[in-house]
Amino acid sequence: MKKTLWERIWETKTGYLMVVPTLAFLLVFQYYPAVSGLYRSMFDWNAGLAGNFVGFSNFVELFTDDDVFIRSLKNMALLTIWYLLAFVGLSTGVAVLIHRIRNEGSKYFFRLFMILPVIIPAVVLILLWKFIYDSTIGPLNAILIGVGLQDWTHAWLAEPKIAIYAVMFRNFPWIDGISVLILLAGLQAIPVEIIESGLLDGASGWRRLRYIELPLITGQIKLLIVLTIMWGVQEYSAVWAMTQGGPIDSTQVPGMWMYFNAFRISRMGYASAIGVVMFLITLVATILNMRYIRSQEY
Amino acid sequence: MVTHSESLAGGPPQDQRRRLYRGDGWRTAALGILCVLMIAPLVMAVIISLKSPSQFTRVPFLPTWPLRWENYEFAVQIISQFLLNSIITSGATVIGVLLLSSLAAYSFAQIRFPGRTFVFYAVLALMMVPASLTLVPSFVLIRDLRLINTYWSLILPWIAGGQIIGILILRAFFESLPGEMFDACRIDGASDWQIYWYVALPLTRSMLGVVAVLNILGTWNNLIWPTLTLPERKMWPLTPGLYSYMEQYYTSYGRVMAGLLLGSIPLVILFVFTSRLFVEGLTSGAIKT
Repeated sequence: MKKTLWERIWETKTGYLMVVPTLAFLLVFQYYPAVSGLYRSMFDWNAGLAGNFVGFSNFVELFTDDDVFIRSLKNMALLTIWYLLAFVGLSTGVAVLIHRIRNEGSKYFFRLFMILPVIIPAVVLILLWKFIYDSTIGPLNAILIGVGLQDWTHAWLAEPKIAIYAVMFRNFPWIDGISVLILLAGLQAIPVEIIESGLLDGASGWRRLRYIELPLITGQIKLLIVLTIMWGVQEYSAVWAMTQGGPIDSTQVPGMWMYFNAFRISRMGYASAIGVVMFLITLVATILNMRYIRSQEY
Repeated sequence: MVTHSESLAGGPPQDQRRRLYRGDGWRTAALGILCVLMIAPLVMAVIISLKSPSQFTRVPFLPTWPLRWENYEFAVQIISQFLLNSIITSGATVIGVLLLSSLAAYSFAQIRFPGRTFVFYAVLALMMVPASLTLVPSFVLIRDLRLINTYWSLILPWIAGGQIIGILILRAFFESLPGEMFDACRIDGASDWQIYWYVALPLTRSMLGVVAVLNILGTWNNLIWPTLTLPERKMWPLTPGLYSYMEQYYTSYGRVMAGLLLGSIPLVILFVFTSRLFVEGLTSGAIKT
């Protein structure tokens, strides 16, 4: 006898009860704010009042009448490209180096060491670099003076032309531990037989890397590229902690500009519009990500 | 000259494997230099943290004696309140996330209720909603709920956001468990609640650990949200707390460095006890994001 839908629902009521708490949390603290953000981006809305509906004029203002926002997009692009080079590029190099070390002991040591940037709280590294860049007592200027390059010293975070590069180059030597570990896991999954047969065919060193190993870890590399782009679009805590977007908005990024509009000058509708633009940029990156995941499955 | 094929053909397997990985010397040196550069700021922090202001003025970046351990005593007094706040908020969040995400994941994986695919995609879709879209409305929501200046202003949104990745990881794990085992429990008269609590959860312990580590890393490093919802600095967790500590005592360099180093210790301790989960969580979690 076929059960009716209601009977099936009644029989599996435990299933519903078990997801109810999750759904309640998601509706209140995820779906409602997300929808509200989309909706409020069309309002001239400050903290308390209901605000006036203004259609798309917030977005028009963003792209036609807000030089700071345009600059923040440029900075975001610059930082994201840099994060791609530094995180993905450098991490690939480091992962390959660690993978090729023959001595198991030192291999293990270096793998373990890559965890270090993860377990030191991000804010500690940011603040240490803020100190390193300090114009009067910071070690960076002290080192430059020490090797006789007085002319190269700067107020790194206070000069508009230089500050964005100082934010960029923080955390030298820019190793991203998580990326290295993901790539290393990919490299270690390559069967030794493939490398051996490659060697028999005369592929060693660079050619082994170029034609055997890199093609076999493209999955991981693509994934890191997408994750890094999404992170680069969103991230502004480093800017927040180091410069707050200054001096004269030279290190502004979209997240920071959203924060400033919402919580310093109470233009919450306008800030929501910035959030929507960031969401759309991320959405494009995510769709690319989904497409790539699908291509992996087939 | 010995070609590769010749060298691979002869010799015991051990030798063959070794020849695949030659040239350790320069690799070790290159990685060693990188490692030294990576810890250099921390070494600097240790050295400065043991200086009095006058010692710093005279010799800023090399060790000086006597070592000023009192910088740490000073920092402990201020950092400990922030640390306590972090333990409360991140701790409550991780408990909530484990409970909610394991319940939902068990339901998605083992109970075939009508509409579960739709509900699951409704959860999954939130992976595409970035924090930037929800920041402003979330703040207004917390304000309207009158949760400003309470720990709940951190815990509730963090549970909501943190459970998504937890559901993904745990659902995959529950689906990998043999279905016959759960059927057998049902035939023996166990309810789904009992199966969840007495059978499924104990089997998932290490996966719960992975979810917990990922979640703690996420909430622990949250810098900006707590500064918005907690006007009183004494409520701030460690990450914004360290920021305000540095702002406040910027010119007492020894004390600042001592505080930053002390603030790094809790995660290091967490790592020491959970290193395997840590690596597993970081690589698997990132892949499923």
